[in-house]
Amino acid sequence: MRVQIGLRIYAWIGAIFLTTTSSICAHHSVLGQFDPENRVMLSGVISKIDWINPHIYMHVDVEDESGETTTWRLESVPPAYLYKAEVTQEMLMGGGVPVRIEALRARDETQYLGFVIRIYYPEGHHYQLSVDY
Amino acid sequence: MNIARNLWTAVVVTTISTVALDLPAQTTESVLRGPDDHPDLNGTWFNGDGVTHVRPLRKENFLCIRGCEAETPGPPRLTPDRPSYKTEFLSIVSNLDNRQVEEDPALRCFPPGVPRIGPPDKIVQISDQIIFLYNDITGSHFRIVPTDGRTHRTDIGPSYLGDAIGHWEGDTLVVETTNFNEDTWLTDDGSFHTSDLRVIEHLSRESDSLHYQATAFDPAVLAEPWKLRPRVATLIARELIPAPPCIEQDINHIIDGTHHDNTR
Repeated sequence: MRVQIGLRIYAWIGAIFLTTTSSICAHHSVLGQFDPENRVMLSGVISKIDWINPHIYMHVDVEDESGETTTWRLESVPPAYLYKAEVTQEMLMGGGVPVRIEALRARDETQYLGFVIRIYYPEGHHYQLSVDY
Repeated sequence: MNIARNLWTAVVVTTISTVALDLPAQTTESVLRGPDDHPDLNGTWFNGDGVTHVRPLRKENFLCIRGCEAETPGPPRLTPDRPSYKTEFLSIVSNLDNRQVEEDPALRCFPPGVPRIGPPDKIVQISDQIIFLYNDITGSHFRIVPTDGRTHRTDIGPSYLGDAIGHWEGDTLVVETTNFNEDTWLTDDGSFHTSDLRVIEHLSRESDSLHYQATAFDPAVLAEPWKLRPRVATLIARELIPAPPCIEQDINHIIDGTHHDNTR
């Protein structure tokens, strides 16, 4: 009994440390790179995801009114965030169907570069990947 | 959110204080041991993956990965664990901190160094050496810790993770690491070190918990040895996977030098 109680206490203490000692995450200084006052709602197909640290990048093919396609590069969260949320690349890509993506544009005015806030899928579900700045 | 956070803290503190008086020391007899009679440290040890602040929220047709923490309260984050520097080096640390985006090697995917890398994510223990494996945001890393009584190597140059040797003090594995290069920081705030940095890590197992404590010695620049806040990792059945490659693409687009919190 004493050992069981002891183990329970150590588990609590462990939980405290696990949940309060931040370690490997790189919290990207989003506002240093992307402008919350300059948003864009893209409609396109997520054609590729660079599943890399410190942040994943989505390649989104966006077709304009003239039929010309431009590929945006959209930064998002570290892979570890997605592992924790049990979100896979396949889930993010949505099966290659067109999605709507709410994003922030780059402050340095780099064309077709942004940061993902939300992704809306045609079936009706959506993901929020970032704090809404 | 503050109310929820305070409630969570109160529950934890109350739970601990309620039974702490009856807290027995875990007997060493209960420690799982290997063939050499030392504690068995083998396994994958979960230490939070550095994403304890990420608390996903699931609702019908909606998954919130970040930004909904108000609805998924957790414990407050502790204040950063920082070393103390001799007075004459404080301005250097401050200057580096102000230019962290340009200067922090970890932001460019270089190995984070020791002890910044933290407790190992997996330990492989064989008769005369112990191998630490890491899945870090900067990539996959390993450290080999001989435990056969040898001294530090003299045939290799300084490196990001240094040269480690280990020995057992009772049931505690003690790892001494030296021969670091000067291209890592101790934390994310300009805490540089010299190539004379020496780090002592203590690892011990209690049941399915791995207790980790590290102390950094660099008397030329630190005001005192820096004893890090203890960490506890939990043995899990999940196998460690390689870290996705670290390819930095952001820094050249950052226009205001905003600090990247990269505490560990």
